[in-house]
Amino acid sequence: MDPSEVEFVAEKEMVTIIPNFSLDKIYLIGGDLGPFNPGLPVNVPVWLALNLKQRQKCRIVPPEWMDVEKLEEIREQERKEDMFTPMPSSHYMELTKLLLNHASDNIPRADEIRTLVKDIWDTRVAKLRLSADSFISQQEAHAKLDNLTLMEINTSRMFLLDSLDCMYKLRTNLLSRGGAPKGHDY
Amino acid sequence: MFCEKAVELVRELHRLGDGQLPAFNEDSIRQVLEEMKVLYEQNQGDVNEAKSEGRSELIPSIKFRHCCLLRNQRCVTAYLYDRLLRIRALRWEYGSVLPAAIRFHMCAEELEWFNQYKKSLATYMRSLGGEEGLDITQDRKPPKSLYIEVRCLKDHGEFEIDDGTIILLKKNSQHFLPRWKCEQLIRQGVLEHVIS
Amino acid sequence: METQAYVPVPPGVGIEENFLSLDDILLSQENLPCRTESSFPRLGFLEKSSEAPDIPEGTKMEMPLWLAKGLYERKRRVLSVELPKVYREGWRTVFGADPNVVDLHKMGPYYYGLGSQLLHFDSPENMEIAQAVLNTFIGRFRRTMDSSQNAFNEDTSGLVERLDCLEKALFRAGQSGLNSFQCWETGRASHLTASSLVLNYRKRKIAEVQE
Repeated sequence: MDPSEVEFVAEKEMVTIIPNFSLDKIYLIGGDLGPFNPGLPVNVPVWLALNLKQRQKCRIVPPEWMDVEKLEEIREQERKEDMFTPMPSSHYMELTKLLLNHASDNIPRADEIRTLVKDIWDTRVAKLRLSADSFISQQEAHAKLDNLTLMEINTSRMFLLDSLDCMYKLRTNLLSRGGAPKGHDY
Repeated sequence: MFCEKAVELVRELHRLGDGQLPAFNEDSIRQVLEEMKVLYEQNQGDVNEAKSEGRSELIPSIKFRHCCLLRNQRCVTAYLYDRLLRIRALRWEYGSVLPAAIRFHMCAEELEWFNQYKKSLATYMRSLGGEEGLDITQDRKPPKSLYIEVRCLKDHGEFEIDDGTIILLKKNSQHFLPRWKCEQLIRQGVLEHVIS
Repeated sequence: METQAYVPVPPGVGIEENFLSLDDILLSQENLPCRTESSFPRLGFLEKSSEAPDIPEGTKMEMPLWLAKGLYERKRRVLSVELPKVYREGWRTVFGADPNVVDLHKMGPYYYGLGSQLLHFDSPENMEIAQAVLNTFIGRFRRTMDSSQNAFNEDTSGLVERLDCLEKALFRAGQSGLNSFQCWETGRASHLTASSLVLNYRKRKIAEVQE
């Protein structure tokens, strides 16, 4: 998957906005949205929130976790633990980027949040690499990687799958009895 | 050693790892086929001799030549097949009309294959998404907006957009156009996507 | 990052080759030291050093892997295959000590592929070879991974130089994952660009004009 496709998936996440216009409920295949009343918070998917925001039709309420204190706590926890800790949103990376790029004026201490999220990401990616290495060196056959997010998996998917594939085939060599080649590889 | 021309064909493609299509190497293919003909005839002779005169000591050499025949076959098949993969990719990168410089690199059969591929892809796309069909070569990444700002990198002449208006794509001119109309031209390097 | 529409046939890796893979065809072109166990009548001209019409029994000659595989038979042996140096005990010990110091490109560049293919010939050392090849891969994995993940925007030629073909392919997979992520992060992912194929064609055309 391309990261922009992962971002596209993340745009389906819900976020609270405070509209400055009135509109009746709208009925879409993906679910009903609205009604919209000026000053009254309403939940909408991120793609709509960003579209309204760009047209200055609303203010975005940042998700609860998008907060300096909360993220600092998560960062410390992530650094302390060997395992991956659960993230407050399975699209934390994409949502941070989308909301900070388009609605930073609605998010307090936006720059600090950006840095914190990047720190958390880096810690987790380093952890992923460490566990990939021990997985390979101990020649494990399966592993459980709970709490990884789609974007994290996506970034190393090709590399990991190809590496495991190679290791599997080199291991299968040990079982081969040798002997005349069976196929027609000339 | 036998089969060297055949491997040279494979090397030629392998060197262009990014998918470029080199000129169809008709000459080398002909030489490989000639070598195969010679190998085959020599083997025919030895096989007959081994059978009629009971000369079983010829068998290792027969096998040797047979291996070379199969090797040549593998190399040529892989050469032709890999070229088809590249030609198929051209349809996605350039669209249905290829620049003359690239067409010159294809042999008659490859051009025919490209046209057939083009046709079956078009038939498939017409069958999708209701009456108008769906162009699946567009929007290969999720689009962010329906219209984009583009700059012309070269003179491209007149260009008709959705509502029937005709605009002139002149070098260095800038336009605000429907994304789906420009995507192909951007990929071909005629237009440049401008990010404000 | 533009996703390439051209994806070549991947190599088989391991004991099976992939028939249409260009990589595997070049791998099977690697020469092996062989000894003929019978004579090959009327093929003497292939041996440049001799004028004889036949290749006599007991001739030492280099043969490409594909030919050795094709001629090799357990029952009626017309050929025996010797181990190339890197797979013999001496080098296996060197690899065992620290696989990271070896220049696998110079030694190979198909160290893993050829090592796997050698198992077709019943050498008494087959087990040790298979184990050595696997251990080398595992021992070098961390380096392959780290370089592919850290080296973005840096000159990677020094790192890649010493990698085997298989490792190089992994390196590229790692780089493209990292590359597309960073493109996205910096906002370049939504930028539509000309196809790299188109650009490379143009470069080549310019180069041809200048020649």
